[in-house]
Amino acid sequence: MENSVNIRQYPHKPAQVYLYGTCLVDSFYPQSGLDAIELLTKQDIEVIYPQGQTCCGQPAYNSGYQDQAKAVALHQIKQFELDIPIVVISGSCGGMMRHHYPALLADEPGIQAFCDRIYEFSEFLVHVLNIQLFDSGNKERVALHTSCAARREMGAHETSKKLLEQLSNVELVEHQYESECCGFGGTFAVKHGDISVAMVEDKTKHLLAEDTVRYISGDWGCMMNIDGALAHQKQPLRGEHIASFLLDRSVGDKGE
Amino acid sequence: MTNQSARNNILAKLKSQVAGADYDKLPKETGFEYPKLSREQQLEQFVGHLESNHAQVVKTSKAQIAEVVARELKSLGIDRLLYGKSGQYSEEIQALKGSVTLQEFDFVVESQAKQNLFDNTPAAITGAHSAIAATGTIVLWPTVEEPRTLSLVPPVHFVIVDAEQLYANFALLMNEQQWHNKMPTNVVLISGPSKTADIQQTLAYGAHGPEKLVVLLLVG
Amino acid sequence: MLVIKVSEFIKNVKRDLNDPQLRENFRGAMDYLMDKRQAAFTDVDEWATLKEQCKRIKQRCLLKLPHLLEQLEENLQRNGIEVHWAETTEQANEIIAKLIAKEHGKSVVKGKSMVSEEVALNDHLEQQGVECLETDMGEYIVQLAKEHPSHIIMPAIHQNKSQIGKLFVQHIDGFDYSSDVDTLIKAGRNVLRDKFCQADVGVTGVNFAVAETGTLCLVENEGNGRMCSTVPDLHIAITGIEKVIEKLDDVPPLLSLLTRSATGQAISTYFNMITHPRQPGEKDGPKAVHLVLLDNGRSQAFADEELRQTLQCIRCGACMNHCPVYTRIGGHAYGTVYPGPIGKIATPHMLGLEATNELPSASSLCGACEEVCPVGIPIPKLLLRLRKESVKPRADMPQTVKGQGGGRKPVEALIWQLWALVHKSPWLYRWSTKLLTRLSWLMPKNLGPWTTARTAPKPAAKTLHELIGENEKQGKRK
Repeated sequence: MENSVNIRQYPHKPAQVYLYGTCLVDSFYPQSGLDAIELLTKQDIEVIYPQGQTCCGQPAYNSGYQDQAKAVALHQIKQFELDIPIVVISGSCGGMMRHHYPALLADEPGIQAFCDRIYEFSEFLVHVLNIQLFDSGNKERVALHTSCAARREMGAHETSKKLLEQLSNVELVEHQYESECCGFGGTFAVKHGDISVAMVEDKTKHLLAEDTVRYISGDWGCMMNIDGALAHQKQPLRGEHIASFLLDRSVGDKGE
Repeated sequence: MTNQSARNNILAKLKSQVAGADYDKLPKETGFEYPKLSREQQLEQFVGHLESNHAQVVKTSKAQIAEVVARELKSLGIDRLLYGKSGQYSEEIQALKGSVTLQEFDFVVESQAKQNLFDNTPAAITGAHSAIAATGTIVLWPTVEEPRTLSLVPPVHFVIVDAEQLYANFALLMNEQQWHNKMPTNVVLISGPSKTADIQQTLAYGAHGPEKLVVLLLVG
Repeated sequence: MLVIKVSEFIKNVKRDLNDPQLRENFRGAMDYLMDKRQAAFTDVDEWATLKEQCKRIKQRCLLKLPHLLEQLEENLQRNGIEVHWAETTEQANEIIAKLIAKEHGKSVVKGKSMVSEEVALNDHLEQQGVECLETDMGEYIVQLAKEHPSHIIMPAIHQNKSQIGKLFVQHIDGFDYSSDVDTLIKAGRNVLRDKFCQADVGVTGVNFAVAETGTLCLVENEGNGRMCSTVPDLHIAITGIEKVIEKLDDVPPLLSLLTRSATGQAISTYFNMITHPRQPGEKDGPKAVHLVLLDNGRSQAFADEELRQTLQCIRCGACMNHCPVYTRIGGHAYGTVYPGPIGKIATPHMLGLEATNELPSASSLCGACEEVCPVGIPIPKLLLRLRKESVKPRADMPQTVKGQGGGRKPVEALIWQLWALVHKSPWLYRWSTKLLTRLSWLMPKNLGPWTTARTAPKPAAKTLHELIGENEKQGKRK
């Protein structure tokens, strides 16, 4: 890894955590949120999902509207008052809350303490829970796509790999240009649609070359982009959130 | 002809931003500690880098300079050699008389002499000021006797490097020799023959400087 | 001369994305450069240490910038090198044109200099009747094709060898078509050798200007920089004010990271250190050496502590080599002298945000550039900052960047106001997301640029908020 993500001290396994679901999962992919909760609950952790949470503020922040982003960010931190970890099921939103809030909310007392409670989902499973996964699924090859913020701000490419490697029947294949951006970038995909399309078309090409049934990611932003392109190309390959994938593999049958 | 108002405007703008800056609070700049290499390892490193950069390295001794150069020139089909008459190794070079035509760099680079330098000097030989192991680099401090163009214009450059003058790295070399006290007109670090990858990332040698660099490394 | 404007960025992008040859040339070139760089940094600790060291060196030199510039000037003058200051590109051109006219110069050979591109020196001198020839092989090719460099280190990277072969047939007398690289380089060498011999003036850039000793350092592989700064009687160097460094000790780490980041070389073939013009008794070297120091917006970047980091740049090009946007659109689409990530953060200070407001937004903020930057410039952060300046109301104080508000659109500003209103009110938020899921059948199939190559995402039947709320009510939560 080129830029080592700030080495952090990890706490012992907590009894309770908050789940930060993200706005995208909330409206489009709620099953991933439910799966994450189920997986954490199976680890004997009580998961609290504050109903007041909305969006981390990243869309406005990345568009230059920092005052608006700040107002929304400020609202988020008020929803998580207990001093327990906040598990975010997106490396991108996690990166925003962990690494960009300190500057955005610099005048907010205790902001660093809030940011220090932010964990990306795979990071939390590996480093805080030291989770031991049991694989009850069939043999499968999968590819992994890590969002850029998850990779460079949260080190999630490494923790995701560690989790997938625990699954005895899963073969993780590396696709060409794996570390390259899929072209999502939030409003970038709309403002500079042509460039974004060129990027996602290359990403789908490299993923398809691995001939897997699904690819795994911890970020629905990227997957919305990549799956949208795959569907448009009438390709059956789809992304699976790492929370759903791990739950799926570890219980075999979700209706357990 | 200095544009005073531009100068003053620029400096004023900059100064207004850093007035009162506390230099003592600057963070410490820690360099990387490279493993110490033995003499042999340094020589090996020096030669390895040069060779991978397409230079030809011949380990030899002061007494054999003429013999080696004559042999190399013959294999290149070159019958002339440009050199500096009172240069570091001029005595050894003069021993080549008879086997090749020695051309003396006794001219100022202008008009006809300049044209002649570009057109009729297929090879040149110089000494070296020192050398750097870490990057396979030869350091030249051109002199009145061995001017800058001597190592630049002729397509083949022979350079004599005394292994005793090999330093571990560039920083050490500048520090030990106290370069900051006095810099000559020109210093040039050479780490191989002239090259370019400007056309489709394909390496080609002899872009504008010498296409061949022959290093006579004096080890004996 | 083919003129590509930054104001036509969106149009340029579309054109270049649809050029498969161009796409292939860039992908190939970037792969090559990324591999080279990676092979040069195998020791992770060494890379991390050197990067931190070089970042600190540049930050120190910037903090002392005005004093170092004065020290540099004093030492250069003592060494016999004249120093000139230019606030604008026009002033720089005027200074150089006058210096050349004073010596009745008719022909100029140029070493690679991005700052000379920045001031468009060739155009200016040609208008004065001075022939100005680029001598870096890549620059020479680009000049023959009447184009601009598409990369700051590899200017002709957008062309392949057969395209260059055809170009040489058109422009070099007696050249028979070949796509053999050695043959092409030899042909260029022969043409340019005569020019070096005959030129009145050599113009080059500067990689590092050392204040302590008054020394100008040039990094190159071809030898054309040495030719330009040695053979003609007059040598004019031009550089940005940020290129000054405090002392010789600063050179080795910066040089090491520069060449390794740029092309994966442990060191360039030549590292040329110029401290005096020709001294009495010396047989060659220019009789006069001049340095032109250019501001052109740099002092604006300097005035803001965050944006000042832009000036740490040592122009290695690694950010563009690793940029997924640059790799796809190539260097010309930007319509700026400096393309890629560094161009996006440097150019707004030169041209203003009015003209360049599309540049900071044309990034997915993936962070590949920052990861490889040898002097630790937080490029994505600076892009975000410029986005902020670009949409800030024009009249708001302080006015940090020229052209503030150049990218502000009233509708967009209103949308973000509404967005903030919804997202800081849990009630409004839940109401609107519920509406979105219930009315998903109303969602248009065509979502503008999104759906040109993707299907539109479908809202879920129920939101996560609702599902969890229901579970909690039913006491199903484990």
